[in-house]
Order: sequence, then C-alpha cells, then structure tokens
Amino acid sequence: MKNLLITVALLASATTALAVDTPITGNVQTRCLITTDTNGVYGNPLPSKLSTLSADGGVVPVVRYDVTLADAYLAKITTPTSFSSSPALSDSVTWTGSTAVTKTTDAGMSVYETAKVIYGSTTQFDLTIAGSTWFSSESTAVYGVNKSFSGGSYTALILAECIAK
Amino acid sequence: MLNSIKAIASFVLITLSGNAVAHEMTPTYPTFSKSFMAGISVTTLNIFNKRKDVSYYEIGVFDDQWEPIPFVSEYTVIPMLYLDTVSFDVYVSNLSLGSVEYICSVSQVQAGATVSSKICSRVK
Repeated sequence: MKNLLITVALLASATTALAVDTPITGNVQTRCLITTDTNGVYGNPLPSKLSTLSADGGVVPVVRYDVTLADAYLAKITTPTSFSSSPALSDSVTWTGSTAVTKTTDAGMSVYETAKVIYGSTTQFDLTIAGSTWFSSESTAVYGVNKSFSGGSYTALILAECIAK
Repeated sequence: MLNSIKAIASFVLITLSGNAVAHEMTPTYPTFSKSFMAGISVTTLNIFNKRKDVSYYEIGVFDDQWEPIPFVSEYTVIPMLYLDTVSFDVYVSNLSLGSVEYICSVSQVQAGATVSSKICSRVK
C-alpha cells in the first residue's frame, strides 16, 4: 500500500514537471509618435533679433515622428508667430521660420523634403513610408525697426501635428 | 549702454532638459459602436504621455472642415502623469456621427516648453 502511494505521488509530480509553452502576446497598432529630440534655444546675435540658427548662437529644435504604417499620416509643423511668454513688448515682432527634414531611417524618405507643402508658417509632409523622420525648424524674431528686445526670458512654441489621412 | 545690457539680459532664453519627450495616441482609425445610451455612439482611444513637461492633454472632435463637434468624455482635458497611459471614451450623438472626421489630443504645455504636440486619429 505504501509503495502504491509513493508511485502515485511520483507520477503526479512528474506531470507537473512537463515542459509548458508560455506564450508572449503583443499587439502592434498603427500609431504616430511625436518626440521632441532637441529643445530649441534662441540666440541673440543682435539686440533686435532672436534666432535659433547655430550661427546666431541658438539651437535648432528637432522633432521626430515615428509612424508604424506607411501612407497613414501627415506631419504638419508650424513655426512660431508669437511668443507664448515674454516681457511686455510695445512694438511688433516680425517672424520668419522654416522646417526641413534632417534625418530619416529610410532612404526613400528623402522625397519628403522635395514634396513638402508650405503655407503660412506651416510646413506639411506626407509620411508615405513607415519609420522615423527628424524635422528641424528654424525660427527668427526681429523686433520693431532695430529696436532692442527687453531683457528677460522669451518662449515661443512650435506646433507639431500628426494627422491621420 | 542700456541697449547692451538689455541685449545681454535678453540672451537668457528657455531651454529644457535634453531628454526625448513623446506623445502618442492610438488607434489611428477608431470606430464608433453603440453605447449603453440610445442614440449615442462611443469609441475608445489611448494616450501615452512621455512628456515630462506636459501634464494635461485636451481632447477635441472635428468634422472634415476642422469645425468642432459636440462630444462627451470623462474629461475634455485629461490629467496625465509622466509615462502614463490613459484610455478614454468619446461619446457622440448619432445625429452628428456622420460628420465626425478627426479626434485629436493636444498637449497643454507648461511655461517653458518649446514644442506643442497634436495627434489626430481619423474616423473613416
């Protein structure tokens, strides 16, 4: 009787030692991810000018778009036309800006730059290939006619949009 | 002299940490289904917040001309922690369901942020 019980116990434990397939499940969705790779900084090469160009002492902001499905999204990047925060200004500010493709994960994405559409301060890119694209936006603000910007901090926002087609 | 001082002072401008920050919304193409209320349809979306400089995202529903369409959600401005993923329902009247084209989330940036991000899913 004792031997029988031991045999049954061993058989039971043997079944629990059998290999089991443990599944790992996942779900990849179509998506657009907007990432700020580099925050912009305005340089102040002249008292009346703020510029993100490196030649002017600034840092050009870089935004990265990751899309997982080809031909599903439009990227729209709008350079600033006003300060989101600044000291009080008594004169007008003239804004200029531009956005360009600076890096891609697929050679075919080079057409994004040639096919881009510009309207107002917005540049639109058709993201026809899955992968990552880096966009750099230059922004310049000139105050009045050779007027000096008041001392203080100035912040302006770039709007990065990813619109499903 | 005063101008020089002002020029030097105004050199101080905003910069944040160099860490990459990101905003994501899924699905790209949401579909509406019947809700528990008669005459109201619902769809569910998800936002992932990898932006330390953003704690709120505003939701908007628009037609193909980018005109806003009335909708109901638990929040129209969703509070989110860093690295948080939030799932939210959007309820729309069946009367305006045919006009719904885009559902968007826009980052509500804090003072000092330099990039505002907006992602729009499309209802096909």
